[in-house]
Amino acid sequence: MEEHVGQLWDRLITSVSDRSYKQATVTLSDVSKPLGIFFRALGGDGGLRIVESAATQHYAKRNWKHRVAGTGKYVELSWQDEDTLHLPKQINVFPDPDLNKDLYYWLAAINAQCLENPSARERGLQGWFTYSQELTQQVIQRFPGLQSRYNRLVTAYLPLRHIDENFNEQELAQEEAVAQALQEPGSIEQLPTSGHAPKSVILWPHPNPPEVIDLSSKKKQQYDEDENNESVSSKPKKNKKQNKRRNAERVDMPDGKSGFFAYRFDTIFGLSEFVNVDRLTDEDDDEDQDSADKNADDMDFLSVARDGQSKGGKVKFDLDLPADSEDEVIFESDVMLPEWDYKKQILQPDYCSVVNYVHNTGEKGELPERLRRTAKRLRQQLEALTTKRVWHRHQSEGSELDLDAYINYVGERFSGHKVEQPDLYQQLRSSERDLSCLLLADFSLSTDTWLSNEARIIDVIRDSLFLFSESLRNTGDQFSIYGFSSRNRGHIRFNTLKTFQESYNGTVRSRIQAIKPGFYTRMGAAIRYASDKLEAQDTQQRLLLILTDGKPNDLDRYEGRYGVEDTRRAIHEARAKGLQTFCITIDDQGGEYLPHIFGNNGFTVIRKPEHLPKKLPILYANLTTNPA
Amino acid sequence: MTTEAQPAIEIPFYSPQGNEESLFEHAFNNQLPVLLKGPTGSGKTRFIAHMAARLNIPLHTVSCHDDLTASDLVGRYLIGDGQTIWNDGPLTRAVRGGGICYLDEVVEARKDTTVVIHPLTDDRRILPIDRTGETLHAPDNFMLVVSYNPGYQSMMKGLKPSTRQRFISMSFNYLKADQEQAVVEKETGVDALMAKKLVSMANALRQLKDHDLEEGASTRLLVYTARLINSGFDPVEACLAGLIEPLSDEEDVVSALMEVVYASFGR
Repeated sequence: MEEHVGQLWDRLITSVSDRSYKQATVTLSDVSKPLGIFFRALGGDGGLRIVESAATQHYAKRNWKHRVAGTGKYVELSWQDEDTLHLPKQINVFPDPDLNKDLYYWLAAINAQCLENPSARERGLQGWFTYSQELTQQVIQRFPGLQSRYNRLVTAYLPLRHIDENFNEQELAQEEAVAQALQEPGSIEQLPTSGHAPKSVILWPHPNPPEVIDLSSKKKQQYDEDENNESVSSKPKKNKKQNKRRNAERVDMPDGKSGFFAYRFDTIFGLSEFVNVDRLTDEDDDEDQDSADKNADDMDFLSVARDGQSKGGKVKFDLDLPADSEDEVIFESDVMLPEWDYKKQILQPDYCSVVNYVHNTGEKGELPERLRRTAKRLRQQLEALTTKRVWHRHQSEGSELDLDAYINYVGERFSGHKVEQPDLYQQLRSSERDLSCLLLADFSLSTDTWLSNEARIIDVIRDSLFLFSESLRNTGDQFSIYGFSSRNRGHIRFNTLKTFQESYNGTVRSRIQAIKPGFYTRMGAAIRYASDKLEAQDTQQRLLLILTDGKPNDLDRYEGRYGVEDTRRAIHEARAKGLQTFCITIDDQGGEYLPHIFGNNGFTVIRKPEHLPKKLPILYANLTTNPA
Repeated sequence: MTTEAQPAIEIPFYSPQGNEESLFEHAFNNQLPVLLKGPTGSGKTRFIAHMAARLNIPLHTVSCHDDLTASDLVGRYLIGDGQTIWNDGPLTRAVRGGGICYLDEVVEARKDTTVVIHPLTDDRRILPIDRTGETLHAPDNFMLVVSYNPGYQSMMKGLKPSTRQRFISMSFNYLKADQEQAVVEKETGVDALMAKKLVSMANALRQLKDHDLEEGASTRLLVYTARLINSGFDPVEACLAGLIEPLSDEEDVVSALMEVVYASFGR
């Protein structure tokens, strides 16, 4: 009974204090695609991902309803850091959904304008106040069409900033200044002070965006290693429950010796402080996860400690280190390649080292029985697709008379020229293709993930390579197949399965049969090395096909934006060499970074990985057939 | 396909990006072939028209396409009234009479055409015509110019290195904002404010190249749009028809790009 009344009260008081218009809600996921384009067009950084912002604490004075309900302490505002643009998860401040949508576009515009965002914390409230007005002025000056939209937003927004009866004089003055600044940006220089921050201004960027956690470099290396292992081992069980982002800080991990054991019964406020209670680090249990989620919801601030030890993944990782096999023949080692550092905007010369090896088992492999039928069908299909039939003129024999050639012939004869061999026929034949393709497959450890009870990603990749080779063997196109994985910049393994010179035979099949996953995905270096190989091919068209299952990443800082930018750079370099690049991925979360790396039409996502083997040859055919 | 050589009456307007005019003159004086590369609508064709008029030589333009063969360039026999007549192609005409032969979008042409132009690009400067048994020597005022757009290449097309390396190359890009604004004003007669809005919008759209769009809005499209506006068409509608629809076929991209238009023209 008590609980029931509590629930009713909670619903009542939060609905009284909550001043949003649920029915007019516009969510970020509804508008994120056009919003991203809009943001980039207005000068926003193309490398930024758009994410839902965490609700952050705001130090404005709350009214009694909010205080009673315990709401209103957090606001979702917009800000950007070096690789993300944070926008509210949903906007429902206005009763009209169009206005809520307009607000999204306004936030994108104002964030696109603040390119060099000085550290917000250094600016302080006063700085934020003037800076926000400046930004507004700049945006409107650059894009005068936004003026009317801004005016509409301000007109609708100001009445919502209603003044509480408990505001004192200073607070009223402050509120008035904000209103004035919104109506006429640039008109107020000084924000009057009061004990509180002014109420949050949803049209302006965040006054004190959460700081990006900066770890000292030495520790970071260690952390990354652990984190990567975790991400590898936990990839299959995707946790979609957590849809709220939270503000967090990092603290030192209790070491189990000096931590102080305490349990505070007296007050629930104690929950929100980081009490150094040392519990055993457990693998996530679903039940634990749920209760942890609940606790996290109640917390003002999360304290996250870096565990000095990692989970089972680490052990697994070490076991997966393949010993250098006796069958491995090294073609080339210590090939030094550069890497792009986007932060410094420089190409670091001789930064990565590549080993190119071939794994010969000495056996003659056969195509697995289960693939034979598909292979046969694909071969036929591809023959039909890749050979575009055209009329070949001026042939010595053919199915039809070539009128053009005949007229020339008659003309030449009339004008007294002796024609030795009149080629007067035309013949319908397949046109000549002058193409080489290099298939570069990702053999990183993440391909070890099980897709179903029968197959891992690596198995799907193996089948794909088989069917790809089977389909291409009769087309006359030159092709080669390589795989890659990496462990730090000094150890990028480039596995040769088939070179351009080799024909597709039992040895190649046995190599494909023997592929196994290992390590990480330093994609940039692999692409650079592969483009050098492909560039040496003397054909008119050279196609670099990349087959991957996820983002570029490696043990060191090669992850997130760094890896993406380096890969993007490598792709641009390849294009500058006159190569065509295309990426085939099974990462359905790739929508955010793929266009940035490969361009809008430079990639495709296979939603069902198990379809990849059959789709790859068809895709290849579509890519390389001249549109009629 | 082919435009006839016309005597230069007035010099078409061209706003230089850098030293390309003087480079072109030097190349002409030294009988060097030239390759122009740059995105669509960045002024390559206008530049050639301008230079031909300035140098006071005829211009033979050939827009290359998939089916363009060597004999389309060199010439062929035509039959009429019981006789056969040899008819020079545009290339042969330019070699015989002098002038610029401009092969626009040369990658589009069939492979055998490159064989015909190769002997004209080295110091022999000859055009052998098998059919008539002639070998033509190019006069000093003959110049071969080809253009291509490196960004816009279908998977199956590219310029062979052996062909690229026979030309002096010039790169074209979109003009700087104030210069482009002057061009739009001069070409269309719109006022400075409108030209400025259009150029800033075009530059916003160009930032989307490689990420969301294959190509940015060209100066040519900008001029077209400005002409629509100048003749009294609604600016927002003109932008949709002249700038946005030509860039993308995807509905959601078009609607996002329209937001950029609204950001400039209001809604």
